[in-house]
Amino acid sequence: MANEKTDVVIVGVGAAGGIIAAELGKAGMRVIGLERGPRLQTADFDPHDELRYLERMDLRPNPKTTPVTWRPNANAKAAPLGQLNYGNQAGGGTVHYGALSWRFHEDDFRVRSNTIARYGDKALPEGSTVADWPITYADLEPFYDRAEYELGVSGKAGNIGGRKIEGGNIHEAPRQRDYPLPPLLEDQSAVNFAAAAKKIGYHPFSSPRAILSQAYNGRPGCTYCGFCQAFGCHVGAKSSILVTKLPEADSTGNFKLVTGATCYRINTDNSGKATGVSYYGPDGSDNTIEAELVIMAPFIYDNVRLLLLSKTEKFPNGLANSSGQVGKHIMAHIGVRSFAAFDDRHINVYMGPSAQKHTFDDLNADNFDHSGLGFIRGAQISVAAADLAGGPLGAVTRMTPPPGIPRWGAKYRDFISKYYTRYLAITAQTENLPYADTMIDLDPNVRDHYGLPAPRMTYDWRKPGEQKRIAYMLNKVEEVAHAMGASLVWRSPTGNGSPGAHHQGGARMGSDPKDSVVNKYGQTWDIPNLFVVGSANHVTMAGFNPTLTIQALAFMTADAIVKRYKDHPGPLV
Amino acid sequence: MSEHDETRRTFLKGAAVGVGAVAGAGLVPEALAAEAKAGHDHLAAPAAAAMAAGEHHGAFFNDEDAKTVAAFAERLMPSAPGKPGAKDADALNYIDLALMGPYADQQDFYRRGLAQLETYCMKAHGNSFRRLPGDKQDAVIAALEDGKADNFTYPSAKAFFDRLRTHTMEGMFSDPVYGGNKDFAGWRLVGFPGAQHSFSPADLKSREAFTSAPMQGLQSRAKTNMRRG
Repeated sequence: MANEKTDVVIVGVGAAGGIIAAELGKAGMRVIGLERGPRLQTADFDPHDELRYLERMDLRPNPKTTPVTWRPNANAKAAPLGQLNYGNQAGGGTVHYGALSWRFHEDDFRVRSNTIARYGDKALPEGSTVADWPITYADLEPFYDRAEYELGVSGKAGNIGGRKIEGGNIHEAPRQRDYPLPPLLEDQSAVNFAAAAKKIGYHPFSSPRAILSQAYNGRPGCTYCGFCQAFGCHVGAKSSILVTKLPEADSTGNFKLVTGATCYRINTDNSGKATGVSYYGPDGSDNTIEAELVIMAPFIYDNVRLLLLSKTEKFPNGLANSSGQVGKHIMAHIGVRSFAAFDDRHINVYMGPSAQKHTFDDLNADNFDHSGLGFIRGAQISVAAADLAGGPLGAVTRMTPPPGIPRWGAKYRDFISKYYTRYLAITAQTENLPYADTMIDLDPNVRDHYGLPAPRMTYDWRKPGEQKRIAYMLNKVEEVAHAMGASLVWRSPTGNGSPGAHHQGGARMGSDPKDSVVNKYGQTWDIPNLFVVGSANHVTMAGFNPTLTIQALAFMTADAIVKRYKDHPGPLV
Repeated sequence: MSEHDETRRTFLKGAAVGVGAVAGAGLVPEALAAEAKAGHDHLAAPAAAAMAAGEHHGAFFNDEDAKTVAAFAERLMPSAPGKPGAKDADALNYIDLALMGPYADQQDFYRRGLAQLETYCMKAHGNSFRRLPGDKQDAVIAALEDGKADNFTYPSAKAFFDRLRTHTMEGMFSDPVYGGNKDFAGWRLVGFPGAQHSFSPADLKSREAFTSAPMQGLQSRAKTNMRRG
């Protein structure tokens, strides 16, 4: 049983944990990072293998050993999810993600007050728990800027200091300067999508991605191989935490990474202070780290689960849960999709970074008038391969064939043979609202391979407002497909209510300890030396991928710890 | 099998002892995996005839089940002139190896599913799936897909269909290193160039099929450039 002492222990060294580890290490704090999975290297991702990484999800947690269960409502029996869509290695999800790097809109931080101001309070659906964030876009802008420049994000600005720029996202919030790198090259799917979107009157642009369009900080530019979402980058052009902040943390001399380490409890004492964490090592050993500061940075499931599992006599409802809000307000993006296939051109959608290549933002957030539509908020609409997977396995397992074509037999063979190189998918990534009945708690029946209760998600996106938003967006993506001059246009089915991508919430940030778990720095209201960070903090989710916001918040947290907490430990708010 | 292959097989008979279960691990080149298995058969039955393409099995399936799975896969992705199917890709070999490796926890699923399929086919059509004519086989598959084969309990008919479809597709389109996609049959069917390390700005701009490099597999490379699609 190893027992170590350190200044800071960070559980989960991914999008948030990796940034905080490097920044605190640079400030002279001794940091131990616990990571459940291995630490891989760029060389491990060469050559590429679609079966291993896409189908068998080699960079994700194993749902058999670390199950997460789901049920649509509190009366249904929960069953383990077949796939877990988050990272399982040092660098976390940034190793395999599609690297979409969005700043949220100004209005994404103020959904409640802006909705009421524009549409009245009846526009907020019954049962929803929409709230404003305790920060504004302006608070976060310097940290968005830092994340883009320190990590390396490619894109074209659409709004510098209020000046709108054609070719960028004209709906984006004002930024202090352009991206550090020019946009990635457009491929055929992007070219076709852009032309059709413009024809309808939208404002398409190259999606900002944490993928280098040219050499930057000693790393080479993207080779457009197409093995991107679900894969590690074989040249290190994807700006994952693995190739950005982890080497930086190493070079401080103050950082130690422990891999194969599964945290099972946050330790607290009778005074109500966190004293460290306990974890199982790769050999099954039981270990404890004593730390002055505990930072929880795993994915939302383990953030919630570990707070609940670490209950004591002093904290009988779990740690940081005096509000009863731990595990509440869970959200997920639901993607709706139209496919388009062409007789007169090849698209070769397997080329280039595979996720959400080109976007228009005109139907996202409150960028359009929702009067009379029966829903609020919108979707980021983009083009890519089926489910962001460019290879043929992705196409045959994730693309439903058009009506009239069965899923097997000679007709299916002829369909996939002709159209695999001639298809693309248009996806609306819809923002879904938080609701009072969406939550994560501990499953009373299912346990992980250590015998600990699995996290159980209770969630169903099929609320009236969500259904209307999805129906609206399906029509819009189909309209774009037709505007491309596609020979075949068809829809993907919308599924059974199960959570889609980018699960968020469970440790909501707020300005009042009574209705939130943490303050704007991710510091728990109840235990000032315990921080809980990552997308668990998100109050609402925007139609945008969450990672850059997770990272900007991590920079903000690290900044506050270094400048204020380090010398004066205590509440930051 | 040609004389040349016979010679190699004799050579590999010794080698196969050394590689042990490597064929099941799916980590050897497809050709070697096939040869290693041939060596194994050779030990068991010195006079055994060589297997035809698309009939490689024995890691998990017995002969009867192998014929059933091969026939099922071939109806899901049938071959036609210029259009390689499941048999050409040797999807059976992929599934057989996977069930002794990463999918070992699905052996019971397959055993029960195949037994239920046999029961259903005997009841509905008076014969085993593998002996039915193609149109009857298609009717059986459609009944499974629609959940209409009512003798299925676990796995359900639909679940068994879905799994066989997924695994057939994996056998068609995964890298040949896993035992299927023989001679890039699946990639040739759809025009996928495999794991290319890069595409040029001209490739990205092109509205034509990609033809400027051979297909690239993990341990193998096609001898000629891509076809015109």
